[in-house]
Amino acid sequence: MDRRKKSKLISIIIVAIIILVMLLGTLITEDMLSTNFKDKNQFPSFEHPFGTDWLGRDMFLRTVKGLRNSLVIGSLASLISSIIAIIVGGLAGTMPKWVDNIVRIIIDLVMGIPHLILIILISIFVGRGTKGILIGVALTHWVSLARIVRSEVLQVRNEQYIKISRRFGKSNWYIFKNHMIPVVLPQYIIGLVLMFPHAILHEASVTFLGFGLSPETAAIGIILSESMKYLISGMWHLAFFPGLVLVILVLLINKLGENLSLILNPHFTRE
Amino acid sequence: MKIFNYIMNNFIKMIVLIILVCIVTFTLAVNSPIDPIRQYVGSGVTLSVEQRESIEEYWGLNDTKLERFQKWAYNIMHGDFGESLIYRKSVMSVIKDKAMSSLFLMICTFIVSGAVGYLLGLIMGKYRDSILDKILKTICVTFSATPTFWVGILMLMIFSVKLNLFPIGFSIPIGKTMEDVNFYEKVYHAILPIITLTLVFIPNIALHTRSKTIDVLQSDFVLFATARGEKSIMINHVIKNTVIPAITIQFGSFSEIFGGSVLAENVFSYPGLGSTIVDAGLGGDIPLLLGITIIIAIFVFIGNFIADMLCMAMNPMVREENIIG
Amino acid sequence: MKKNFLGLIVFVLMILSLAGCSKGNGNEVVESKESEVNEESEKVLTMAIGSEPDQGFDPVYGWGRYGSPLIQSTLVETNVDMEIVNDLATSYNITEDGLTWTFNLRQDAYFTDGEQVTAHDVVFTYENAKASNSIVDLTIMDSIVAIDDFTVEFKLVKPESTFIYSIAKTGIVPEHKYDDTYGDNPIGSGPFKFVQWDKGQQLILEANEEYYGKVPEIKKVVILFMTEDAAMVAAKTGQLDVAMTVPSLTTVEFEGMTLLNTDTVDNRGITLPVVPNEGLTTKEGYQIGNDVTSDISIRKALSYGLNREQMVEDVLNGYGKPAYTECDNMPWFNEESIVNYDLDKAKGILDEAGWIDANNDGIREKANLNAEFTIIYAAGDSVRQGLALNASEQAKELGISIQVEGLSWDEIDKRMFRDAVLMGWGDQTPMETYLLYNTSNKGVDYYNPENYSNVIVDNYMEEALTTTDSDKANELWKKAQWDGTTGTSTLGDAPWVWLVNIDHLYYIKDSLDVGEQKIHPHGHAWPLVSNLRDWKWIK
Repeated sequence: MDRRKKSKLISIIIVAIIILVMLLGTLITEDMLSTNFKDKNQFPSFEHPFGTDWLGRDMFLRTVKGLRNSLVIGSLASLISSIIAIIVGGLAGTMPKWVDNIVRIIIDLVMGIPHLILIILISIFVGRGTKGILIGVALTHWVSLARIVRSEVLQVRNEQYIKISRRFGKSNWYIFKNHMIPVVLPQYIIGLVLMFPHAILHEASVTFLGFGLSPETAAIGIILSESMKYLISGMWHLAFFPGLVLVILVLLINKLGENLSLILNPHFTRE
Repeated sequence: MKIFNYIMNNFIKMIVLIILVCIVTFTLAVNSPIDPIRQYVGSGVTLSVEQRESIEEYWGLNDTKLERFQKWAYNIMHGDFGESLIYRKSVMSVIKDKAMSSLFLMICTFIVSGAVGYLLGLIMGKYRDSILDKILKTICVTFSATPTFWVGILMLMIFSVKLNLFPIGFSIPIGKTMEDVNFYEKVYHAILPIITLTLVFIPNIALHTRSKTIDVLQSDFVLFATARGEKSIMINHVIKNTVIPAITIQFGSFSEIFGGSVLAENVFSYPGLGSTIVDAGLGGDIPLLLGITIIIAIFVFIGNFIADMLCMAMNPMVREENIIG
Repeated sequence: MKKNFLGLIVFVLMILSLAGCSKGNGNEVVESKESEVNEESEKVLTMAIGSEPDQGFDPVYGWGRYGSPLIQSTLVETNVDMEIVNDLATSYNITEDGLTWTFNLRQDAYFTDGEQVTAHDVVFTYENAKASNSIVDLTIMDSIVAIDDFTVEFKLVKPESTFIYSIAKTGIVPEHKYDDTYGDNPIGSGPFKFVQWDKGQQLILEANEEYYGKVPEIKKVVILFMTEDAAMVAAKTGQLDVAMTVPSLTTVEFEGMTLLNTDTVDNRGITLPVVPNEGLTTKEGYQIGNDVTSDISIRKALSYGLNREQMVEDVLNGYGKPAYTECDNMPWFNEESIVNYDLDKAKGILDEAGWIDANNDGIREKANLNAEFTIIYAAGDSVRQGLALNASEQAKELGISIQVEGLSWDEIDKRMFRDAVLMGWGDQTPMETYLLYNTSNKGVDYYNPENYSNVIVDNYMEEALTTTDSDKANELWKKAQWDGTTGTSTLGDAPWVWLVNIDHLYYIKDSLDVGEQKIHPHGHAWPLVSNLRDWKWIK
């Protein structure tokens, strides 16, 4: 199987896994996650693959639900981020210099404040909870994407065929839509996919610190914030497995990005 | 002369950014739905209406927003960030107390992860596709997918609890008075947090260096040099061409290292700016929160500024580009 | 390149020296991790017991309220059996009308800077405490004067039998050495001397060798402020002599340490809004009222229908007792408040009131309203979370659906007037009853968010406060709970569904003797050390 075919296959498999997790997560109801004091502190078994916690909740179901929540927040935030990025990057590339300068200053500004701290600030001031984290993550992650868009656009801008198109009297919008987007899109998609894990990790970190979700919510950050307790009381599986699953998810998404890059950028297959 | 202009431009840009940060954070703060009074007094305390009003007056919460900003901006330019609600001292003194420990942590991480990461990158690049490379690459990729706090917790459990090799947290030994603590103990307590952060930040620079190294080793002039029988290709060619991008990348993660330190300090109860900003955030201590954010932003901007300057100093090509463009 | 490299090395060395610059001076001898000493009496006691007082160790702002101020002395104090005994005072006298209280002070008490403790210091302390308007509520005090250097006279606005308890908790500060930094560097005449406080980290105390009473056997105490989790980690490495813990962690083995559980009056219960939602809001705009919980049958059903023993087993791992009031087992506790777990009775109450599950979805309805509401609690407290979730789980059998949400305190502030709150109280004074239920205290701080008001109960409580005879007072407090017709307990209005009295749990090093513990009030941390001066190492 040649390189491209292999990449396509891997990409499809990974996407399928992610969709599967999201589906499963959505199907898990409050009921399945509810407390069951009779069953507390059980070790992993067939019935409870990850064991149960001190309130009797099944850890496996909680983890899947948590992942699904993280994926949803990650996707939403990424979506919002990407829209902001396209607008900003596109503007910077196509509009006159002064717009570009303003955009560059804004980018430097957002990059100056460490992501985590900015997310904390935003989530506090917006009032914590899911909304706060969503806005926080969205507003911090558009930057790298915007830079990619901007640099691609700038590059293409000076190409011959753009100049010709302009000579023909085509509007800016036409040029943007028909010439630039096809070039920018591949990089954009890759950037988007690669940003996704960062968003998820940041969301988990902020939740871990305590900004955000109420402790009942099934969220990976919440589960991991309980891990010290579990590790001390010898229930290491309750700390280890959820963490492991998160790492695997992030790795899968990274792999997806890599493979997409191979598919969409054939001339980068030197590796 | 042109160089001077360039430096000045960047410097002015830095100042503008700092001012913007102040404006943005202040605006966010002022529009926040948090009620600082309740946070301040805490739970389980009896509060009469009169007392509430007097606290409001004292903290200036009855002025209009514009007035408050003017008052505040004037104050911070004189280094007065107001008083921390939690610590009841001036924000500046709280920051001063904590900044040293954090800076120490971050600079050590910066240097160690940079050095080790760079070396690993070179090794991986030179021996690409070997077993060593594959193993190192897998380790790097895994660590970059792991949340910082989790790495910290694992370190804590393994090295502190199980093996009892390192202290479980804090920056000074339990029960020691400030005067008795010496330098080595401080370093000792910082080791686990530094290792945690380093592990998380090595992959970035290692993988980048790896790919740059591969590029160089596959380039034409290296081919030529090998053909000519040159002995120390690594040193003469590879390093020369990979050091500067490495430093650039490393300076780029400066801001993320700050973010990581927030998590590491939390896990190890290490009292630095990172854990203080979490306390300030959770405790609704707005003056402290703003103060730390601005100070951190200033540090990052200065860091970037230095990085730009270093870049320019070391790389004539970039120098040319910037002067012309 | 070489020049740059050299520069880099210099740069690095400069950075490393930064770390040495901050506080410690270059004492180059590397010391060992734990203080190894030969003399038993020199051993350092290390404990992790939770939160530090925001305003410092200043009695004027409430330091010492939940235990003993340690650094300062009080006029009187409560002993193990909750009786009042003298401390700074050698005797005291209350007039018949209960308005004038006179205290005679001992003459051998000195602050740790050598100055003698006089009546002027007492007057200074109380006047400042009253003016500080903080946690110390001295509004009942009209005036205080020093009759002479060693006699103090209080005049009250009206008689209040519980005032003696306030006195027992107020540490005396030195008039000559008091300013607004006092809390960070206090001196007092108590059994311990303040050495150092690193905010957010540790407090260091030393035994006061000049103490007028029995000098503590433990010479140096280090109190660490850590999170629950971090404390457990520290205990695992053997570095702590005392560590607070929670029921879910009681199965952990800590080498050389044993679990201690102390009886407490620290309770947990659910307060439910007793008024329906009529569109009213508080001054700040928070909605008042809940249409479901305002139905008394719901509240009573919960009180009869929740198995408190089960909760103690499931959530507290047995470390606790069922509670039926805010003052179980206190001298003013009315035993008629105890109700037995009776699921059928609970269901009957709901049926009779018209709550039927017509559509068979497991939730009862009445007049188009589902029997559902939310319990909120302070996030971060695993016991509260557990109790709330357990109550929710049990309530399913009653056909009541309860959502549980963990929130921060400032969010609770906004929601507590319309949602049920799982909170805790518990003090060694009946004043607590007054604060919790009195009409005039509605929504003051965290008291009476449920908007409870009962004039008959108010009257009993007012009378109890002004009586000087403590037995008569206790009878009146009991009537407030249930006088045969009405009251605050389950039999009466049931604004609270009290659940449990939690034990306070600590891991204590086997070599440490923490003396006899009084019944602890609300608050996990400081009550344990109120008898710190009696602790000793066991050989």
